[in-house]
Amino acid sequence: MNWKKAVSMALVGAMALSMTACGGDSKESNASAGAKDAVGTENAGGNAAEGGASSGEKLVVWTLSDDLIDFGKRYTEQTGVEVETVVIEPANYPTKVQTALLAGEKEPDIIVGEPKMLEDFYDAGFFEDLDQFGAKDYADQIVDYVWEVGQSDDGVQRAISYQITPAGIYYRRDIAKTVFGTDDPEEIGKLFADYPTILKTAQTLKDAGYRIFSSDAEMNVFSGDSAWVIDGVLNVSQSRYDFMDLCVDLYQGDLTAYANQWSTPWLQAMAGQVPILSADIQSYADDSVDVWKSADEFEEATKDMEKTEVFAYGLPAWGVLTLRDHVKDTSGSWGVCAGPAYGFDGGTYIGISSQSEKKETAWEYVKFCTLNEETAEWWIKFSQGDTVSLKSVLEKHKDDANEVYGGQKLYEFWLQQAEEIDISKVTRYDQAIGDAWGNAISAVKTGEATKEEAVSDFYDKIESTYPDITVNRE
Amino acid sequence: MNTIGYKIKKSILYLILILLGLTCLLPFLLMMVNATRSGSEIVTSFTLIPSTYLSENWHTVSEYFNLLKGMLNSLIVALPATFLTAYFSAMTAYGLAMYKFKGNKLIFGTILVFMMIPGQLGLIGFYNLCTKLHLVNSYIPLIIPAIAAPGTVFFLRQYVLSVLPPSLIEAARIDGAGELYSFHRIVIPVMSPGIATMAIMAFIGSWNNYLLPMIILNKNEKFTLPVMMATLRASTDINSNQGAIYLAVAISVIPILLVFAFFSKYIISSISAGAVKE
Repeated sequence: MNWKKAVSMALVGAMALSMTACGGDSKESNASAGAKDAVGTENAGGNAAEGGASSGEKLVVWTLSDDLIDFGKRYTEQTGVEVETVVIEPANYPTKVQTALLAGEKEPDIIVGEPKMLEDFYDAGFFEDLDQFGAKDYADQIVDYVWEVGQSDDGVQRAISYQITPAGIYYRRDIAKTVFGTDDPEEIGKLFADYPTILKTAQTLKDAGYRIFSSDAEMNVFSGDSAWVIDGVLNVSQSRYDFMDLCVDLYQGDLTAYANQWSTPWLQAMAGQVPILSADIQSYADDSVDVWKSADEFEEATKDMEKTEVFAYGLPAWGVLTLRDHVKDTSGSWGVCAGPAYGFDGGTYIGISSQSEKKETAWEYVKFCTLNEETAEWWIKFSQGDTVSLKSVLEKHKDDANEVYGGQKLYEFWLQQAEEIDISKVTRYDQAIGDAWGNAISAVKTGEATKEEAVSDFYDKIESTYPDITVNRE
Repeated sequence: MNTIGYKIKKSILYLILILLGLTCLLPFLLMMVNATRSGSEIVTSFTLIPSTYLSENWHTVSEYFNLLKGMLNSLIVALPATFLTAYFSAMTAYGLAMYKFKGNKLIFGTILVFMMIPGQLGLIGFYNLCTKLHLVNSYIPLIIPAIAAPGTVFFLRQYVLSVLPPSLIEAARIDGAGELYSFHRIVIPVMSPGIATMAIMAFIGSWNNYLLPMIILNKNEKFTLPVMMATLRASTDINSNQGAIYLAVAISVIPILLVFAFFSKYIISSISAGAVKE
């Protein structure tokens, strides 16, 4: 057993040696990084970057949306503070941030998050308390729901977004006039007041030769009147079942154009006539028509099919940007009205990393992105119609008429919608549970499974994904 | 031998082999063709006729990042990592297989155990270590750990046992060769088919590695190719970037093909080399 001792001694020795070596290394490299800073040379090496981070003149932003690249450039132009914006693919953003921050990484000064990841980030303590910089003073300048989403459970402000993303129904004014005799958003909103009314509206439109929606998932952003998980218990409220029924009825009642959201015909329907596909095509059982095709080929493949026009889309405020690119000839004949409920989707929330060494500078940047009227004005122009979160700017632009929407005053509308949003139903599980519920709906509407089977599968899925959530089967 | 039956058998065999070969090549061909097509064309059912969007796709790619810089970064990581894996794994394998010393079995057993631990588990600890060593944003944590490749050691140990007769080394010793000399001049040439195979694997693995570089590198200009390519997927209009993604992928496999072409020569030529006369 002598060699065992020898090996263990050697191992211990090696460990101790490497540790002392590391200690020496880090001191040395710190010093050298500092020296490099002093002479102002830029070195791409890791040590120099860390050294640069303590000089106070450079901010590092880790983001998942490329919007912040433009914000960063503008900030540098105005203040001279260098901003390095690193964009990470949204799917892997949480992994990256979690790994780095849990390991004590000090490099990012600014980190961001979408509502669905914020709660996890708050719990892990990634976001610095903004109240210590006086964030509370700005509370009434930002649209309420955005302000609240940016708060952790203990009511501390931790992140702020520069945009609001309330959902609305985008509809065709010309079709509304023909079928319902009015194109007033108030009146049209009544046609979408609840699920039974939507089905009735859909039937009326079908009888007149139109289709209410392109896909059956348009009301997704408005679905659900309570949180998915309450006190650790899965909560499938009646409204979830109602929503399932609505999707199934729309689909099986032949009331949509059977397109999938974001597919070619779905986008095409924004510009006018589209063929009515069949249920089989949507579910890919019939592949004679490829719905992801380019426009020309798609037209060729469907020229013998019955054509129709689609009345409405359900999208968040950033849908304005999507429609802008796709409406073509129907520009000017669109309108936006309220849906059956208030909802929102997405949004980039900016906060300060709790491990940043330049929190004061970082706070200036957060203020610049979210609380600065001039930046908000610039962003409205630069993004060509994104909806900002500063109340004062929304007020100022509330009389802006958007020509795509027949001169409707959209900012006023979004502000109204945003004021009604109830964020208490947002949980960290929304994405996963919502997707699972969506799969259950698909299974029911295509007849793959009965409602009972699909719901039971849904429960299985949730139980296996989140063992800590209590599932009470009904 | 040359009967009709034999010929028929042989033609059927060749037909099957040709079909198999085509099946293997089709995805590559498809990738090349797709690199020349627009996003909306790609999402159509497949065709093997190239389209005309090559330059547009290239334009999209270069808008997002510098592809050549990404390739260079990937090469800086993959080449040394491959070399270290191949050389040190061969050395370890040879040592474990040919030298008799106490603890040999124990070390081999430990290596086997480590083969079974997925690397992702230690991600946070690894990052922590890199922070303490000031190695975040450097390629060192991506290159140096390649020295320890338990899987490769395991494979090469079995391989060296089967191809290297101990009498070859004994003969070298009698002729006065040192241990390192005989390892370099005799063992490596004999082992080269195995080393080449594992080197190809190591290179592909290192070239395509996404998770670790994504975590370790925090600077746009230091990103390796797979990390850069992922940003194409971050775009809101995913469909329009499809062609660009294919183009980037098509270009990124070129080094893999080159490496394969280079090493496959060794695989073939060395199978017959370096044997002992009985």
